[in-house]
Amino acid sequence: MSYYDLDAILTDAEKVPCKFELDVPDLGYLDNNPSQALKAQTPVSLPLWLAELLALSSRTQSSNPEDSAPFLTLEMPKALSNEVVSALKADPRAVALRDQTHNMYGLAARMLDLFEEPEMCAVLRRTFVTRAAETALHARKAGATDDVVRGEGFLSGLEEWERSLFRRAHDGNKACKEWMDGVKK
Amino acid sequence: MDIDDILREVDPSSSGLPSETRDLQSLTRVWVAERSTPELLSWPTDGLVERVNGRIASQIERVEALTGDMDPRSNFALIVIQTELERYKFLVRSYLRARLAKVDRHALHYLSTPDLRARLSPTELAYATRHQALLHNHYLASFLGSFGPTLQNLNDTAGNITMIDTPDLENAVFIRLLRDGRVMGKGVDADGDVEGRTGDIIILRWADAKPLVDTETAELV
Amino acid sequence: MALPLPQGLVPTEVAFLCEMEMVTIVPRQRLESIPLLSGDTPALRPPHRAQMPLWLALLLKKQRRANIVPPAWLHPASLADIIHHETNVDPQAFSPPPPPPTRADGRGRARPFQDNIRSSREQPKPGDDPRLAPPFLPSPPAGYLPYHWLELAETLLAHAADDVPAAAEVRSLLRDLQEVRAAKMRGSTQSLEGGGGVVVLRGVGAMELAESRAFVLGVVDGVRKLGASAEATRREEEAIGGGGRYGGGAGGRGGNFEDSDEEMEF
Repeated sequence: MSYYDLDAILTDAEKVPCKFELDVPDLGYLDNNPSQALKAQTPVSLPLWLAELLALSSRTQSSNPEDSAPFLTLEMPKALSNEVVSALKADPRAVALRDQTHNMYGLAARMLDLFEEPEMCAVLRRTFVTRAAETALHARKAGATDDVVRGEGFLSGLEEWERSLFRRAHDGNKACKEWMDGVKK
Repeated sequence: MDIDDILREVDPSSSGLPSETRDLQSLTRVWVAERSTPELLSWPTDGLVERVNGRIASQIERVEALTGDMDPRSNFALIVIQTELERYKFLVRSYLRARLAKVDRHALHYLSTPDLRARLSPTELAYATRHQALLHNHYLASFLGSFGPTLQNLNDTAGNITMIDTPDLENAVFIRLLRDGRVMGKGVDADGDVEGRTGDIIILRWADAKPLVDTETAELV
Repeated sequence: MALPLPQGLVPTEVAFLCEMEMVTIVPRQRLESIPLLSGDTPALRPPHRAQMPLWLALLLKKQRRANIVPPAWLHPASLADIIHHETNVDPQAFSPPPPPPTRADGRGRARPFQDNIRSSREQPKPGDDPRLAPPFLPSPPAGYLPYHWLELAETLLAHAADDVPAAAEVRSLLRDLQEVRAAKMRGSTQSLEGGGGVVVLRGVGAMELAESRAFVLGVVDGVRKLGASAEATRREEEAIGGGGRYGGGAGGRGGNFEDSDEEMEF
């Protein structure tokens, strides 16, 4: 991941569900309760970069790993819930990933780093490859025009990695066709 | 072993290919390679680019000498020579510009260790150093200067993320095998291991392709 | 000044490479040898055939100084054979690439080609010629497509159609061939979900690659990134079990880099 990569920065800002393991003074406003402390185990949403930090760092000073307790526990974001993953397993093409999040795969890669979910990993890879093939077909249909990403059903559901694939496929088709047309001159 | 082999062993400087053909093939190969890899490759140490540039310069002189000659027959030769000259210039230019794009993109990275700096030609090294200094001064003057001293670096590595962008060596590339042999490459569910044949086109990660390219077992396509 | 193009050759660059492909011509006029950067051109004496790069052959053709002999593989019978192979014999793979040129192929040509004598398995030794590869190989025999088949065929049909026998038939066969192979190219990404480390596209052509390269590499890299944690876990397990082919290569990402921050004072 690169320091200046906008997609990585945006993925970092994705909100993920989590629960604090302890009461946090003055954070009650996160639960619409500004005058109170935030109670332990209250479900809140925090940006990934912050939640990850608090989930991975220990709140006790002890060097004994047995004692290490994190500030909060993370949960899978809605975009990667069982519901979504089952839908993708049934038909990868039928889900508008963009409606889940613009950075579906970027977020998934980060979450898979934190949770060991071999099955989800396999489903997502199959989803990515299957949808990529479909994306390439659409890119071919879009042909040698600059008329990229119209509101058409499948295409409007592409998330960022897929949009980049669409652009790559489209640009390749276009450059090739342009050369073929140009050679006759 | 045939007669060419024996001659070659007697005289190592003799070669089956004329040196002009060798150089064209080498130049083409380094150009394609530079256009195809995520990271900057080493500047050829055998003087290839310098040699080609020298030939281009003397060919330009020849063109100038021929231009005065109005004989239509040498006129056609002139067209041919100039066409070829433009092709060589394109190759050299595109090669240098492909390198420049990589140096610009990851300047701090390529300046960071002696090994990496050794990949750059003396001119490229001078360019990268000076360009980076200019950039840094410009940033300091326009915005970095207003930050606290600890926030002015462009090469911080704190917080588990480095500011120095590096090329991703695991990015995939296409190679062509130049000889038969086993090709191994890292994969997700399992690593790949294939008996390759000369001429095969293969996709694998650059980190796994590099040793094959370095030993001339494969070339980038 | 930096080149604004993406990683990997684009179609115009592939076409530039293709213009270095060697073709055979029949001169219509005498022409003395011309001293070029890539070596002297052969002196042309009608009706003796000569070999030269495509760009030069096209220049001669435009000036009506020569006719281009269409390569053997471009004849209708050869193309029909290849289409038969691609559709019936092996509907999955591309037709096999030309066999590596042998020494006998270099005989009688204007310039010797591919006189690399070491067998295909031996490691190169210093002083060896670089191993020749397209576009520097002689034209393949009938029934085999050269690496630059599509661009070469299109160029010849555009600029030397009168030299290509049954040009209309050749055109339509080429369209069929393109169709068959495009479907194979599209199918090739389906096998990528396991993130296999080595994917062989034996017999694929240069322009076909140029068209799909960025897309295919995008898919391969995407699968790798999605599977990065699964791969790291697998490597750790293999390292513990001692079964890892790459031993301690766990994680792997950027593992070849030195720890650059330590040397920043340079």
